[in-house]
Amino acid sequence: MAKRIFTSQALTFGATAHGSQATSGQYMSLTGASATQITDILEVMFSGKATASTVAAIDLARQGTLGTGGASALAAPNSDGPAHFATAALAAPVVPAVAYVTNQVIPSNAATDAKLNLALNLFGGIVRWNASPTQQWTMVGNTAPGGGSVLWNNSSGGGSSGLGDAHIIYETY
Amino acid sequence: MIFSKKSHDGEVMVDHRASPGIPAHLAAKFGYHPSQVAEGVVLEAATLGCPHCGSHVVLNPLRTRERAHCYQCNMYICDGCDFIRHEPDYVHRTITQVRELVSSGRYVMVGGTMGRPVLRRTGE
Repeated sequence: MAKRIFTSQALTFGATAHGSQATSGQYMSLTGASATQITDILEVMFSGKATASTVAAIDLARQGTLGTGGASALAAPNSDGPAHFATAALAAPVVPAVAYVTNQVIPSNAATDAKLNLALNLFGGIVRWNASPTQQWTMVGNTAPGGGSVLWNNSSGGGSSGLGDAHIIYETY
Repeated sequence: MIFSKKSHDGEVMVDHRASPGIPAHLAAKFGYHPSQVAEGVVLEAATLGCPHCGSHVVLNPLRTRERAHCYQCNMYICDGCDFIRHEPDYVHRTITQVRELVSSGRYVMVGGTMGRPVLRRTGE
């Protein structure tokens, strides 16, 4: 039980439809590592870095289908690390990824799976979302839809592709 | 101690102080009123942590129709879970109960949606 921060920097968030594969290297996904794992997402922050007006429909959603082929290892400047330097390593850490080897994650298009709307203009816009204590965005297990969440740019909501920095603060139990 | 239902609120800040904001013709498409996301405007709105599905939704401060309320949880729930709970064979189960079942190791989540997860007893 320790807070971790998954950060992406200068990532182009390509707009893709929910129910379709996100574009490799253009989303942020968190996936549980075991069937009994519980993860709370506590905060999402997104800073637009586009150099011209670009409206992005950034959504935090469940994964309708998990990525396959294994997560590609995070490479700098993206990162995932504990908020406290003395955090013990988890035996089965949650998998943070911006790309998968074979198939990319598919954001859920179920009408009854909630999506958190974080739309903004990437030209200077900033979005920050915080959950109140005990009311976090909860991930359960390691299968879709409960075991995976994804932050991506939703073309179904009218988003256009653009550059941004983002972080997700989460805590695994 | 819970003082009010608003005690459960999260918060979202959409800051367009240094941005041209979202054009009016697109704002509604994203669920905003154009005045909330115009150039130079900061929108601060509550978000609802739904006790049924464990997700969050942004609460539209301009909403006038009633918000879904679960009398068993005595908390507001999201519209998706409100739809689900009116289905005929619905079983009331909060995300806290799902967490406890799954983390006990006796059940795994094998599908469904978060408002209506399919749980399977391990070993079956």
